[in-house]
Amino acid sequence: MRHQLTLGIGPATFRIGSAWRQPLDQLARLYADYPQPSGTIADFTVRLQPAGFTRRWLRPSIFITGDHGLADAAPMSLAHGLLAAEMGMNLQMALGWRRHLLLHASSVERDGRALVMTGESGSGKSTLAAQLGERGWRLMGDEFALLDLDTGMIFPFPRLVSLKNRAIDVIAGEAPPERMGPLLAGTAKGDIRHLVPRADAIAAMGQGARPAMLIFPRFGPEAELRAVGQGEVFMRLTQASTNYVALGEPGFAALTRFVTSVPARAIDFPSGDAAIAMVEQLWDQLP
Amino acid sequence: MTTQRYRREDADATVACALEDMALLYHRPSGQTHMVISPVPELLDQMGDGAALTPQELHDRMAQLYDLGPREEALAQVEAHLAELAALGLVRRA
Repeated sequence: MRHQLTLGIGPATFRIGSAWRQPLDQLARLYADYPQPSGTIADFTVRLQPAGFTRRWLRPSIFITGDHGLADAAPMSLAHGLLAAEMGMNLQMALGWRRHLLLHASSVERDGRALVMTGESGSGKSTLAAQLGERGWRLMGDEFALLDLDTGMIFPFPRLVSLKNRAIDVIAGEAPPERMGPLLAGTAKGDIRHLVPRADAIAAMGQGARPAMLIFPRFGPEAELRAVGQGEVFMRLTQASTNYVALGEPGFAALTRFVTSVPARAIDFPSGDAAIAMVEQLWDQLP
Repeated sequence: MTTQRYRREDADATVACALEDMALLYHRPSGQTHMVISPVPELLDQMGDGAALTPQELHDRMAQLYDLGPREEALAQVEAHLAELAALGLVRRA
């Protein structure tokens, strides 16, 4: 590919190749504070290539591919090249990572213990993690939590936080502008803007934490808190994991250990401040 | 009334984990995880010695430990569970 960039995020290394310079320049700026990966062997390759022969110049249109591809992935506009690169990295992790049980969850850390938050897209888990990350917690990741198969620790994957629609203004009000990426308007998921995690979160991206609480957040009209039974937790986490089946028995052992040792709560929250107050209260009640 | 006998798979074939409200069985040969609720864990426990049992014999073992209610109804349920477990590969027809 004409342009290349290598990024290390948590334990994973990505080599990103692109037919265009612009997405890689944006990535390089936003990932400038991340440690440079040592060595040259990447875990994954992501390629941003023209959707067709002439599409590098004429209404340029990006096709995302790499070690693991999705046959029906729709081409994206070059203006959304940064999003294409981020989606490509997520896709490679989701389909190819085997060293940890991969949970589609956000996570934050305080005092060496991790709070894991999982839910469907739009549940608010990403925004909540970003807000906590601006208010004294260490952001470990907004998309994937990596559950170590041997130790049961949660390890970070602190890529850029992908803020969507209303979350953009919420976080832009708390984080300095130099940590915000460009506004990508009108993507398939609406408006998107990326947030660079705080420098201390990036510096600690190799440090795991013992999981202490699991939360299923849901943005809703009224604040509500309920306990979640272990059976439901197990089922929802298998659905939230992209590699549970592929990992086989070590995945079963890691997930059952997590489910039987980590208390779980579902919270409905009408605002970010309400959610943070509920989280802080639950956290303070932990033994 | 069936005389089909069923035998539990080797004890090593499954890994069990009890949760608050259900039990999980990881089936090593298939790599599948089964979420089961009572009375399935109890039925499998009673087959733990590896004996090939008819539904009647398994029912009678269970009836010594649990109040199963009317025999005919309970027996029909035991038969149905055994057929399901055989389909999942957790017990075998002997």
